[in-house]
Amino acid sequence: MADPTAFYEPEDDELLSSLAVPAQYQPQADGDEYRRLQELEQHAYAQQQLMAAEQEQEQMQALEMVPEDVKRFLVLFHQAILENDLPTITNMYESGWNKLSQAHYAQNEWPEAELISPLVGNDQVFLTLYRELYFRHVYAKLQPTIDDRFQSYENICELFNYLLNSEGPVPLDLPIQWLWDMLDEFVYQFSSFAQWRASPKNKADDELEMLAEAQHIWSSYSVLNVLYSLVQKSQINEQLKAEKEGKTPEEVAEIAGEYGSKPLYRNLGYFSLICLLRVHVLLGDPTLALQTMENVDLSGGAFLTRITACHVTTYYHVGCSYMALGRWPDAIKTFISVLIFFIRMKQYHTRSYQYGSITKQCERMYALLAICTTLSPGPSDESIMSIVKEHYGDQLAILQRGGDEAIETFKDLYLSAAPRYLNVNPPPYEDPAALESYLANPPIDAINRHLDLFLSDVAAVKGVSNIRNLLKLYTSIDASKLAAFSATEEDGEEEILQQLMVLKAASRTYAKGAGEGTLLDGERIVTNNLDFTIDGSMVHVEETTSHRRFAGFFIRNAEHAQRVYNTIRSAPLPAQRKPTAPAQTQGAQPNGTTPGQAAAPAKAGAWKPKRQVQIAA
Amino acid sequence: MTSAVPIKNLAEWHSPETRSEVIHELIHGVDRYNPTNLPLMEEYLAAQVKEGHYDLLANLAILKLYQFNPQHSNPDVIINILLKSLAATVHGPDFNLCLGVLREPTAILHDIESDDESLVVVMPFLQDLHELSRTCQFRKFWSEFNDDSEAANIIRTRYIQQFASYLDSLRLIFSISCASCFSRISFVQLSRWLDLPSNKVGEWCSKIGWSLEGETAVIPKNGDNDVKAGVVRENVQLNQLTRLVAAAAA
Repeated sequence: MADPTAFYEPEDDELLSSLAVPAQYQPQADGDEYRRLQELEQHAYAQQQLMAAEQEQEQMQALEMVPEDVKRFLVLFHQAILENDLPTITNMYESGWNKLSQAHYAQNEWPEAELISPLVGNDQVFLTLYRELYFRHVYAKLQPTIDDRFQSYENICELFNYLLNSEGPVPLDLPIQWLWDMLDEFVYQFSSFAQWRASPKNKADDELEMLAEAQHIWSSYSVLNVLYSLVQKSQINEQLKAEKEGKTPEEVAEIAGEYGSKPLYRNLGYFSLICLLRVHVLLGDPTLALQTMENVDLSGGAFLTRITACHVTTYYHVGCSYMALGRWPDAIKTFISVLIFFIRMKQYHTRSYQYGSITKQCERMYALLAICTTLSPGPSDESIMSIVKEHYGDQLAILQRGGDEAIETFKDLYLSAAPRYLNVNPPPYEDPAALESYLANPPIDAINRHLDLFLSDVAAVKGVSNIRNLLKLYTSIDASKLAAFSATEEDGEEEILQQLMVLKAASRTYAKGAGEGTLLDGERIVTNNLDFTIDGSMVHVEETTSHRRFAGFFIRNAEHAQRVYNTIRSAPLPAQRKPTAPAQTQGAQPNGTTPGQAAAPAKAGAWKPKRQVQIAA
Repeated sequence: MTSAVPIKNLAEWHSPETRSEVIHELIHGVDRYNPTNLPLMEEYLAAQVKEGHYDLLANLAILKLYQFNPQHSNPDVIINILLKSLAATVHGPDFNLCLGVLREPTAILHDIESDDESLVVVMPFLQDLHELSRTCQFRKFWSEFNDDSEAANIIRTRYIQQFASYLDSLRLIFSISCASCFSRISFVQLSRWLDLPSNKVGEWCSKIGWSLEGETAVIPKNGDNDVKAGVVRENVQLNQLTRLVAAAAA
């Protein structure tokens, strides 16, 4: 897709080569007379020097191997970051890096940071940022080794350490997309490591040894520590609260303090809240997850919607938390609102390298919707539900039929779509004897523990749809008659009354009201049209009927018609037919550009530097 | 005693009035990860047990500390927390939320090197009770609860004594389940579901605000046991029409 040579501009060659190659070091062999010992020492020293030089030479040679366009990119990237030139950084980060990765590093790593450090004047901050991208590329495209995992952890800690523990706020500014990706990747690598570490099977001896020694690497504590530190440093909760109270920007800035008033820290703090939501969900604590979000606005125009990946992740995890709380309508509403958003945004996002993972997460939400709408049937958005039916039609039919087969399907859907829950603590790598017994008798992993909890929720309401269907046939019926239809045991009537109480509870839940309140708040609502009361043993059925909804349909289509009309009206009239121009060009290009002009911007897709290289080594 | 009515909103559930400012700050901040706060949190739980209050989020914070510091786990505290959430709600997620941050009992005991194996029998027993409760099999619930099994004995003799009227809090949540369905209910049925001798049922009913009519309890209307069929009409809000109106005005 990308033209690998697009970055290459031969006229700048001299500049780069003079920059890249520092003066060669030539070890001098001294021929003077010395005492034997000194001679030996000297010899050893020379050897050392020689080796160092050889190494350096090797490095230089390796650096020479780095393609010119990559070198040029790094130099410019470094400069843009030094100057906090956000538009250029954004362009290089979002487009240049990915294009070069595709062109040169589809199958292997980017050059090591040590290798390219002469290009960027050995700037440690840049090299740390570079390594962050380097490891992200390894995780995305290659198979990370244990060394990669460890080094990536150490690197990201170094970066956060620089951000959090420098004297005062650091003079750095990065685009929000990058900040989000950085934290997103941090949580991703944490969960990837925790999953990998959770199984001591098939690990090489040196891997076991390293895991035994390095308990702190990617530990849950250290990850939470980073996220909470960013939240505290940026005073993000206080800022969001003040904004909600309608304080002026000056007042908010004062509350935010020296760090939080800087966009870098504010954004990192904000995204940390969302990462905390994720980590809490992964560690099996949905109430804490929702509590963490108490100051974050989730409405349509919220800050988090500016980054699609962030938007989708947030809603996915909020929805999953609601599922764990049995608040199915809230979960459904959450999933549907982000899926509608995603369908609308889709066309603009096909280029993002995360597009694949976003699509996958959306796919999981459709599966979860099949689950939620079965457990809490009711009207929901038709366009989204038609996609659910399209993708999960067979499963949906089985789920709604009920029975043992349904349980199996619930299980499959849940395992494929629910978050990958993590064990907080690793297996006892430090204690070989304990590890042996751990292997012999492995405990149930977190995913299966949560699956069991979910299935117990499902099992608790498994009789509900049958009895609901039965009730639909009556306006009032005695419980003993109902019992004759279903139960066979002696206490049939009592059994039926108990099932009716379960049905009642299954038709009620708590749901977040519009506007006010935190995510944990909820009002008791009725979720099903069919309701009943019991007088003694007589069941009175009351069914609420709803009129067909026309207004929504009318509004949607009227707005659509308006948009079409506006588009047509604002389009320029077809240009006058010139006698010389070929007819098909006129038809295809109503705005008057020639085919050559129109094609030019499309071809220039590869990244191009906006200015000349002007940097001294 | 409170009246047996389904709870209307969750404010009291996530932030009960009985929670002190100190505890509130603790569970909303980073300090919730500090194991030196365990004694304070466990003391708060003990107060909940003794005085009949309930604070799920604070109890989950204790379990969270155990999750991160398995060596500090205290089986008695875990059982008390599970008992608390068992008696707090019939259909709420509370019990499973606690299980979500717990591991199997053997793993917990392994990390504290305890010889007392009672957690191993008690935890599955409580899980069974919870399944019976949430499926409204109240009679079976009581028969398991009063059974002579090892777990039931441990629960009865070692734990529920410390609780302020544990049995009554179970009866209350079961009564709430009844109240959401029944407008009238017979004493016979109540006596089975609430595990009360028939001569005590009347007394219980008046305690929770139900009136008596011979051998039947009359449950006051509460929005759930007096539903009426209705018709839902489409309700169009003005803000749905803003774009249309704007387009018409332009």
